[in-house]
Amino acid sequence: MSEFGPTVKAFLHQLILAIFVVIWLIPIYAMVINGLKSEFDVTSTPVFIPPLHPSLTAFAAVWSQLDVPLLNSVIVVIPVSLVATFIGAMAAYYFYLLSVSKRRSLNFMSNTIFSLIALATFMPYQAVIIPLTRIEANWGLLNTYGGAIFAFILFYIPTAALLMSMFMAVLPRDIIDAARIDGSGDLRTFFRIVVPLTIPGIISTLIFNVIEMWNNFFIPLVLFNVAKQTLIPVAVESFTGGYGTLYNESFAAAFLASIIPLLIFIFLGRYFIRGLVTLGTGGKGAV
Amino acid sequence: MVVTVKLSKVTKTFKKGKRNVEVLRGVDLVVERGACMGVLGPSGTGKTTLMRIIAGLEVPSSGEVYFDDKLVSTSNRIIVPPENRNIGMVFQSWALYPNMKAYDNIAFAVKNKGEETRKKIEEIAELLDILHVLDRYPRELSGGQQQRVALARALAKDPSILVLDEPFSNLDARIRDSARALVKKVQKEFGVTALVVSHDPADIFSVADVAGVLLDGNFAQVGSPLELYDSPVSARVARLVGEINELDGVVEGGKLRVLRGVVERRDCQDGNVKVGIRPEDLRVSETEVQGMISLGKVRAKVSSYTGSSFRLVVSPLEEEKVELYVNSDRPMPINSEAVLLAKPEKIKVFKNN
Repeated sequence: MSEFGPTVKAFLHQLILAIFVVIWLIPIYAMVINGLKSEFDVTSTPVFIPPLHPSLTAFAAVWSQLDVPLLNSVIVVIPVSLVATFIGAMAAYYFYLLSVSKRRSLNFMSNTIFSLIALATFMPYQAVIIPLTRIEANWGLLNTYGGAIFAFILFYIPTAALLMSMFMAVLPRDIIDAARIDGSGDLRTFFRIVVPLTIPGIISTLIFNVIEMWNNFFIPLVLFNVAKQTLIPVAVESFTGGYGTLYNESFAAAFLASIIPLLIFIFLGRYFIRGLVTLGTGGKGAV
Repeated sequence: MVVTVKLSKVTKTFKKGKRNVEVLRGVDLVVERGACMGVLGPSGTGKTTLMRIIAGLEVPSSGEVYFDDKLVSTSNRIIVPPENRNIGMVFQSWALYPNMKAYDNIAFAVKNKGEETRKKIEEIAELLDILHVLDRYPRELSGGQQQRVALARALAKDPSILVLDEPFSNLDARIRDSARALVKKVQKEFGVTALVVSHDPADIFSVADVAGVLLDGNFAQVGSPLELYDSPVSARVARLVGEINELDGVVEGGKLRVLRGVVERRDCQDGNVKVGIRPEDLRVSETEVQGMISLGKVRAKVSSYTGSSFRLVVSPLEEEKVELYVNSDRPMPINSEAVLLAKPEKIKVFKNN
């Protein structure tokens, strides 16, 4: 590379970035332009060619089907991801305290519970969906927000705790010791020091949780059996029929369904990146 | 409320894999109210563990720790947790909270946040010359300023005891002396009991009233810094406290023979011994000097200038392998010869081990 000047090098970097950006944008572009096509155009024109006469008919048609599931998803996913991330962060801090403790019994406890959490994270939720559905049916939670919230909380708190543990591991021990010596209890230390220092990690975990829950298809599929009351991934899927697919409406529905995760990523994405950097460089990104 | 700190037979054992490592072995220690105790020792001798046990961050394996008459830690149990011990601690890394400005760092430890506290923090900041940086984040401060913020944080809560863990090791050599003087000044001004842990004897000599040398998990010697320097109990202590030339000698009938010199030493048993002489207690000269004894002729190998004096490396004519460091007020041409003189009362004799 040394024969290239710095300008050429910078240009190449930008070019490679631009190529990747285009690749990443292709699905969104396709969703938008095909959503703007008529039912005839969408099957008769190539998928990457924009429509000659764009119309919002498809968007309007799916909106009436998607408004309730979209709202349902917002109501379930946003608070649950906030709560799961917060509880996960607290749990991770507790593990951090146990792991730096010199007491062997506490260390053993930390390892055991941590292994259980890892198990809970990596266990396929499909494996426990039947007992879960039975429990929810008994409690009358099927087709309710409560049922979806309970299931998501159950599956995503361990994920959040596991992710946050990785961010906590780089907290300097001296700083936590200093806070203890300064008379600060665990809760105060958590809110005043641990949370501010792990903000990039907390936001990364939050984004990860939002996207995972938002895209989760299987849990709402099982827990809701009324099409109009379900969450967004199931509602989007309902546009693919057994006898035929309205492609323009499918594209429009897919775009509407991905707006919220996209917005979250656009506004909080830099924290997500910073969080990943924190993990890679031993905590410098946190300060 | 400033306290007297007392440790009684404190031991600490860590498990390293399958092995038990005994870091502290029955340490007894008293730091009187308002005194400043220095703990000196090479790395890995348990200095930091001792300090963490006093702070309550570590549990002693056996033994007791008292603040005045109050038992704060006992075998495998912490009775008063660190947050209730009212300790001011300056960490080696300073451990400032990176997300808080200097002022909030200092105020974090103080319970009530009224106007009185603000005034007090500003007074301490004034004393430590950090008043103008109170609204900055730690990352915007120089090393010296960070250290003073850490010191201010430790002092602001009126600690019962101030613990400093290698407080000067992260500072530039240039500002280290002024930092030591400042610590000494505020310690006396606040009248707080203090414990300074360091591997650098200069830290201890400049700050501590009493010093202890920690070797292999216990105090090898406790006394005033001057005592440690002038009458060390062993060659290891002598070496740790300051530079020293170590030679082989023989005691016979109350006379110590070292190199070509003979000194009266009635307090020593006959036999082979180790002899220690500090560089400033040696001199090279062409003639005899009153009050000093001759150790024989030497040849200069190296002569260098170190700020205020010259530093020579000389070897006895008949023993080229032995090298001695001498502090001298004048240089000496390489390979020139002179008589090596020593102050007899400063020659230290240690058991041969």
